[in-house]
Amino acid sequence: MLATGITKGRRVAYGIFGIFVFMCIWYLATKYTSLGSVMPDPVTVFSGFFAAFVTPIGTKTMALHILISLRRMLIPYAIGALSGVLIGVLMGWYRFADAIFMPYIQMLRPIPPIAWIPLSIIWFGFDEGSKYFLIFLACFFTIALTTYNGVHSVDETLIRAAKMLGAKDYQLFTTIVLPTTVPYIFSGLQVALGSAWATIVAAEMIRSSEGVGWLIVRGQDVGNMTQIMIGIVAIAITGLLITTIMRGVEAKLCAWAERGK
Amino acid sequence: MEKKEPKVVVNHLTKKFGDLLVLDDLNFEVSEGEFLCIVGPTGCGKTTFLNSLTRLYEPTAGEILVNGIPVDPKKQNISYIFQEYSSFPWLTVEQNVRFGLDIKRVPKAEADASVEEMLDIVGLTKFRNYYPSQLSISMLQRVAIARAFATKPELLLMDEPYGQLDIDLRFKLEDELLKLWQRTGTTVLFITHNIEEAVYLSQNIMVLTNKPTSVKTVIPNPLPLPRDVMSQEFVDLRNQVTDLIKWW
Repeated sequence: MLATGITKGRRVAYGIFGIFVFMCIWYLATKYTSLGSVMPDPVTVFSGFFAAFVTPIGTKTMALHILISLRRMLIPYAIGALSGVLIGVLMGWYRFADAIFMPYIQMLRPIPPIAWIPLSIIWFGFDEGSKYFLIFLACFFTIALTTYNGVHSVDETLIRAAKMLGAKDYQLFTTIVLPTTVPYIFSGLQVALGSAWATIVAAEMIRSSEGVGWLIVRGQDVGNMTQIMIGIVAIAITGLLITTIMRGVEAKLCAWAERGK
Repeated sequence: MEKKEPKVVVNHLTKKFGDLLVLDDLNFEVSEGEFLCIVGPTGCGKTTFLNSLTRLYEPTAGEILVNGIPVDPKKQNISYIFQEYSSFPWLTVEQNVRFGLDIKRVPKAEADASVEEMLDIVGLTKFRNYYPSQLSISMLQRVAIARAFATKPELLLMDEPYGQLDIDLRFKLEDELLKLWQRTGTTVLFITHNIEEAVYLSQNIMVLTNKPTSVKTVIPNPLPLPRDVMSQEFVDLRNQVTDLIKWW
């Protein structure tokens, strides 16, 4: 809706202008205020960020830190997406599944992933399992609930129309309920992707020696503010890229919902 | 005129919602290939009547037979065009028209031919790859009509399909509907609150009473097609039906 009346090129131009203004303010603030004594300027941070693609931070270059974190995020994200869609559809379609799962979802959903760190270490140890668990929690509930809402949003008129054209129950599910739910699933996947990626820092607080979250945690340990900022920039840029890719996939698969707007 | 075999027989159709009696012992027959318009006072339960006919609502009592057997949309070829727009938004125009054929597992060659014919008749061939969100209101109703006729239904039920259209579009789509009806010979039950529309389209006009609804009378419409809404005969028939449903 926000894009109404704005061409794609102009939208990108506005975005770049916004970032440029932010960088200027950041630069001037670090040069001419006391902020400069605790925080590096953007030139230092971005040159450090790009230099890290050649010169390792710790034992890995920036590309590897990002790829390791992406793998850490994508495996539990995929598990969370599959199980979230499955549970969401079950809850939406069968009342008994709604009655069984919904109380747990509503109870567990408000607990932030970071609060699960002690338990996840006890249950899954210090290795990848505990990190996967935190990221799974960051995406599962969102995807399950948006899918559930999608199933509930099915237009009764369309169900009646399909019934009158002879659709049996399983055909109603495959031809009406699932397609109606797809945009909701994508909306959940989009939000959950952001949450899962944001949780990477918390996940990498559990003993790790690489990854973009580790850059921040390690930077904090040794008091290296530039490294902290490089880690933040890495998370921000990668987050922007993966959500943009996801939006592209959504636009392809939900073309019917996009066109004509 | 020779009486045709009844396509639809309704015996003692009654529908209650709790204690509220909506349909009260309806009895009537519809002949094979007939175009029957059903009119009645506002809120008399016309849609409940059609939904009960199709078993979208289970009747409280009575039976509805199509070709002599109890009506069942899963077993019989019945189509329904709703008041609301009911195109599937995730399917293109062509896929929408094909929907009922795929559900009924009609062989591909036959389905292709039927889709082409319907797209051509309703003038949507050029728009076959468009999604409903890209279409105008009249085009959306044409998609619904093409989808309904594509399965070559034995019985077509229409619930005020043109209620939300302006007069120009309505006349255009009514003419299209008559063309399709004449070409396919489908039996049509058409609910409307618009008496002019009923006189323009029907062979017979069934007038319903206020709630609890029963059949007040069935008026034959002998006017030849195409009809002239300005002719004296047309106006006389319209006035006759209007007098029958007057609640004021």
